[in-house]
Amino acid sequence: MSSPLVGIIANPASGRDIRRLVAHGTVFDNNEKTAIVRRVLVALEAVGIRRVAYMPEHDFGILPRALTALNDHTFSLEAAPLEMPVLGTSADSTRAAQQLAALGAGCIITLGGDGTNRAVARGCGAVPLVPISTGTNNVFPTFLEGTIAGMAAGLVARNMRDGKAVIRQVPRLEVHIDGVAVESALVDVVVSSLPFVGARALWDTSVVREVVLARVIPGAIGFSALGGALLDSSYARGECTGMHIVLGADSPEVLVPLAPGLVTWVGVAEHRWLAMDDVVRFHSGTGTLALDGEREIELSPASIVEVQLCADGPYVVDVPATLEGAALAGHLSRKQVE
Amino acid sequence: MATKQGRGVSAQALDKSQLLHMYEQMKTIREFEERASKEFASGKLPGFVHLYAGEEAVAVGVCAHLTDDDYITSHHRGHGHCIAKGVSLREMVAELLGREAGACRGKGGSMHIADVNKGMLGANGIVGGGFPLADGAGLTAKYNGKGQVAVCFFGDGAGNQGTFHEGLNLAGIWKLPVIFVAENNGYAESTPVTYHMSCRDIADRAAGYNMPGVTVDGLDVFAVYEAAGEAVARARRGDGPSLIECKTYRYHGHFEGDTITYRTKEEEESYHARDPIQSFHRALVERSIATAREMDAIDKKVQDSIDLAWEFGEAAPYPSPEEALTDVYVKYP
Repeated sequence: MSSPLVGIIANPASGRDIRRLVAHGTVFDNNEKTAIVRRVLVALEAVGIRRVAYMPEHDFGILPRALTALNDHTFSLEAAPLEMPVLGTSADSTRAAQQLAALGAGCIITLGGDGTNRAVARGCGAVPLVPISTGTNNVFPTFLEGTIAGMAAGLVARNMRDGKAVIRQVPRLEVHIDGVAVESALVDVVVSSLPFVGARALWDTSVVREVVLARVIPGAIGFSALGGALLDSSYARGECTGMHIVLGADSPEVLVPLAPGLVTWVGVAEHRWLAMDDVVRFHSGTGTLALDGEREIELSPASIVEVQLCADGPYVVDVPATLEGAALAGHLSRKQVE
Repeated sequence: MATKQGRGVSAQALDKSQLLHMYEQMKTIREFEERASKEFASGKLPGFVHLYAGEEAVAVGVCAHLTDDDYITSHHRGHGHCIAKGVSLREMVAELLGREAGACRGKGGSMHIADVNKGMLGANGIVGGGFPLADGAGLTAKYNGKGQVAVCFFGDGAGNQGTFHEGLNLAGIWKLPVIFVAENNGYAESTPVTYHMSCRDIADRAAGYNMPGVTVDGLDVFAVYEAAGEAVARARRGDGPSLIECKTYRYHGHFEGDTITYRTKEEEESYHARDPIQSFHRALVERSIATAREMDAIDKKVQDSIDLAWEFGEAAPYPSPEEALTDVYVKYP
């Protein structure tokens, strides 16, 4: 049996959108991403991973640069690029995830934002993800120290954890336009009156009409935070997952952290919890559809847009639980070595 | 305290006449450059020309937020900036031809067109020469206190020059109302940005100078317009400088006559497939903002204006030899 394989998909284009200008968005340059990957690789090796496959990219070379700096290290891990064409678009992330799934990867580490992970989720199947946030406004990936992320991913790939549920499947939102499934989102789908995709991000709530959330996560940022501000006893009982919110200018307001450093009052005309498989039909009209925070689809007035909450999203590793389970199982201990 | 949201500068705010004006400007730049290419090949133009075709969305998306009271600095590929800032086509052609009716009385040529009445402080033959000029203009704007801004257009090669770092540092510490607009077309002359730059995105360098930096699709005029709108509004409010990196592509070589051995046909075709003018045209028609007939009429108007400008330029006289002794620092004899 070959040794476990871990995949790495690092998006060189994440984390530099307009929210750096309109708010106080974080700066993640590719040299920092390279440093994160370097820490990931060292941690993977430390927990016994010997094989890594990664998404190639032509514009910076995050993985090759990370590996170059490890030349002096006595390194027993082999990392190789996947054999795939490089288009320089999100399709690369999807294709890399498909290949890693086909190769039997035990875990995939992603570096990017919600958009990067949406592309990965399209191709990764049941391979669990460790998503490290290097985007601007993230809900799906979190700010993880690369070393810890690498250890957790390696432990999951080697199955070195106890029986606890350290991997969970998260929901997704399936977008149908005129009856045809066209896209999927991991966090939210937002319909705005903006006519063009333009600079992609949304930061002005006056142009937002409706929001559908895949999950309500207290502590989230972006439009997902609307759900966090509208919590009620249904959340405490764990009865519902998603939420549909209709914004209204003259309605009661909730305080929402819309982007890093941008906290604003937003009027909510109505909202309702969504159960799995519920479908929301948006009111028709010209505008754009934003998926996971970025405008992606320009709508015509006659478009019928429906969003369905689906249970079959990607699997995600609970990093602290993984490390806890590994420690309890004795995988992080050994007798003193002379 | 909750943050007060600024008024969005989205493309939604543009009405039909503004959108069509922007399209007309982009089309004018393209046709101007294609004509310049043709005339250069026929040997009519003295000196070099560096053409802006393919990058139109940047100049137009940014300058749509400016008035004649605002300043811009340009570089060796400056025709697009001149047109977007409102410099006369006739004076531009006359300048290219070295005629007295030129914007600089025929003394500057393609790489030194300026029109201070339009706030166009000059194309520039020195790579990275615009940064200190833009800082100076920004300091003037700050001193004037009337909400003026300065925009510095520069290329990815200039982003590695010392003047870039000095210019951004000064703008950062003095909180100048300057918007630095990187036109990253992927090549510094023939050297790919993947080789010549130590980071992937010029925008990443902004953080080192205490200003926000964003990267946008420079082929999408709406994306450029939105980012520039926020940066200009920020500068006018007194909140200081910004850096906007526009990922774009030049259709022609670095200069006319460049054999372009450093790019593949596949790469060029992939960018032509995303042509900024065709995309804009399609968006306007598909959204029923304008009819195909209206767009055709604009195309015809643009072509006529270019033809008239060339007729004017070619008929204009050359300056007299004595002109060489004027506009210089030392009186002669």
